[in-house]
Amino acid sequence: MSDFLHTFFDWSEIRGALPTLLTEGLRNTLLIAVLAILFGLVVGVLLAVLLLSRRRLVRLPARLYVDVFRGLPAIVTVSLIGLGLPAAGVRPFGRNPLGYAVIAVGLISAAYCAEIFRSGIQAVPPGQLQAGRSLGMSYLKTMRLVVVPQGIRNVLPALAGQFIVDIKESSLVYLLGLGVGQRELYFIAQERQAASYNASALVAAGLCYLVITIPLTYLVNWLDRRMREGGGRGARRAPAATGQEDATGAAVPAADPTTGGALKERA
Amino acid sequence: MTTATGKTGGERTGGAAPRTAISVRDLRKSYGDTEILRGVSFDVAQSEVLCVLGRSGSGKSTMLKCLNLLEAPTSGSVVVSGTTLTDAKVDVDAARAKIGMVFQHFNLFGHLNVLDNVTLALRHVRGMGKAEAAEIGNAQLARLGLGHLARQRPGNLSGGQQQRVAIARSLAMSPEVMLFDEATSALDPELVGDVLAVMRELAGTGMTMVVVTHEIGFAREAADRVMFMDDGVIAEEGEARSVLDAPSSPRFREFLSKVL
Repeated sequence: MSDFLHTFFDWSEIRGALPTLLTEGLRNTLLIAVLAILFGLVVGVLLAVLLLSRRRLVRLPARLYVDVFRGLPAIVTVSLIGLGLPAAGVRPFGRNPLGYAVIAVGLISAAYCAEIFRSGIQAVPPGQLQAGRSLGMSYLKTMRLVVVPQGIRNVLPALAGQFIVDIKESSLVYLLGLGVGQRELYFIAQERQAASYNASALVAAGLCYLVITIPLTYLVNWLDRRMREGGGRGARRAPAATGQEDATGAAVPAADPTTGGALKERA
Repeated sequence: MTTATGKTGGERTGGAAPRTAISVRDLRKSYGDTEILRGVSFDVAQSEVLCVLGRSGSGKSTMLKCLNLLEAPTSGSVVVSGTTLTDAKVDVDAARAKIGMVFQHFNLFGHLNVLDNVTLALRHVRGMGKAEAAEIGNAQLARLGLGHLARQRPGNLSGGQQQRVAIARSLAMSPEVMLFDEATSALDPELVGDVLAVMRELAGTGMTMVVVTHEIGFAREAADRVMFMDDGVIAEEGEARSVLDAPSSPRFREFLSKVL
C-alpha cells in the first residue's frame, strides 16, 4: 500500500515537477489550447453556415470535412499534420511543433464545433430568418446579424464540452517531440515519469488540467445563465458585441412569447 | 367609428384612376403534389386596404408570403410598386426593403433591444450610420407610443407591445406597402385592441395594406375591400361592407356565421 501511495503521491516528486509544470507546461498547454479553440470556433461557424446551405454542392464539402475530422482518431490527425506535413516539405511553422499541434487540434475542434453550431442555428425559430429577409437583408446578412448570434447563445454549454476536449487533446503534441521551452504539461510529466519510474509528476500534471477544465465548465455555465436570465437591464450596445443578457434562449421557451410562438409556428 | 369611406377620404376622391400598388396574376403554389394556391389574381390600388379572410388552410397566409417572395410562387406573376418580383432578374432584397411585413408571432430579434430591432435594417440595408438610424428608430417608436421601451429586450414586453415594435420595425424602412399576416392572432384578447388601433391609424395615413385577419370588425371598419379565400382560390371579393353584409357565396356565408 505504501508502494502505491509512493508511486502516485510522492510529495518530493510532485514538488520537484511543479515549478516547470506551472511555468513552462501550463503556458504551452494554454497556448496550444486557446489558439486551437479560436481556430475551431472561427472555422466551425463558417462550416456550420455551409452545412446549412440549401445547395448540395456547398453542403457536401463541409459534410465531408466534418465526417473526416470527427471520424479520425485525434492521434492520427496530429501525426499526419505534425509529422506528415514537415516531412512533405510543408513547414509553415518551421521546426516548432506547437504550431502544427494548434492546427491539428484546431481542425478537429472545427469539425465538432461545426456540428454544435449547426444544431444551435437550426434551433433558432425560422421566423427570425423570415423577419430578416422581409426587411430586405440578404440571406448571409440575416444569418450573420440575426440567426448565428442567437444560435451561438443556444449552444454555450455544448461548446464548453468541446473546449475541454481541445485542452486535453493539446497533450498529443508530445508525439511531435518537444524541446526545452516548448514542453507542455503532459510532456514534462511524462519525461519525469520515464526518468524516475514514479507517476507522481503525472498526477501533478493531471491536477493542472483539472484546474483549467473544471472552472471553465462553471464559468461557461454562469455565462449561459446570465445571458438567459438578464434581458432588458439597459443593454446599451448591440449585445452581439458585449455578450450581454438574452431572454430569448431557445431552452427557456415557456417564459418567452417570442420563442413560444415561433415554436408553435414550426409545429 | 371610422368607416371605409372616412378612411379613403384623402387621396382617392376625385375620380382619377388610382395607381395600382400590387398586381397578382394567376398565382399558383404547390408543395409536392399539394396545390395550396390554385390561380389567384387581384389588384390592390395605392392607399387601399385589402382584408383577406378565410379558414386556416385556405391559402391566405401562403398568398401573402408570395407577395414579398418569402414563399416562391410555383407560377404566376406578382408586381409590387411597379417591380415584377416574379421576374428572375429582379433584385428581391431591394424590393423587399420597400415591402413591410408583420408576422403572427412578431418575430422580433430576441438578442437585440427594441431600438436595435428597429434600426438593424436601416443600418445594414439602407447603410445608415448609427446616429441617423437611431434618430429614425426613436421617432418611429415614439410615434407608436413605445419610446420608453427602446432599451428593453423583446422578451420583457407584452405581446401587444412586441407586435407594435414589429410594426415600428417595418415602418422605419418607409415601406410603400404593408403586409399583415394574422398580426393579432397570437395576442391575448385584451391586447388585440392596441395593435388594431395602430393598424387603423396606419390605414388612415394612406398606407397600402394587405391584411390577412380573422378580425371581421377590423375588416368592416378599416378595409376598403374584402377578399374571401377558400381552398386556394378567391371565392368572393368586393367592397368591404357590402360583401360582409351580404355575402353571396354559401362558403363565405358559412364562414362569417362561424366567426361572428
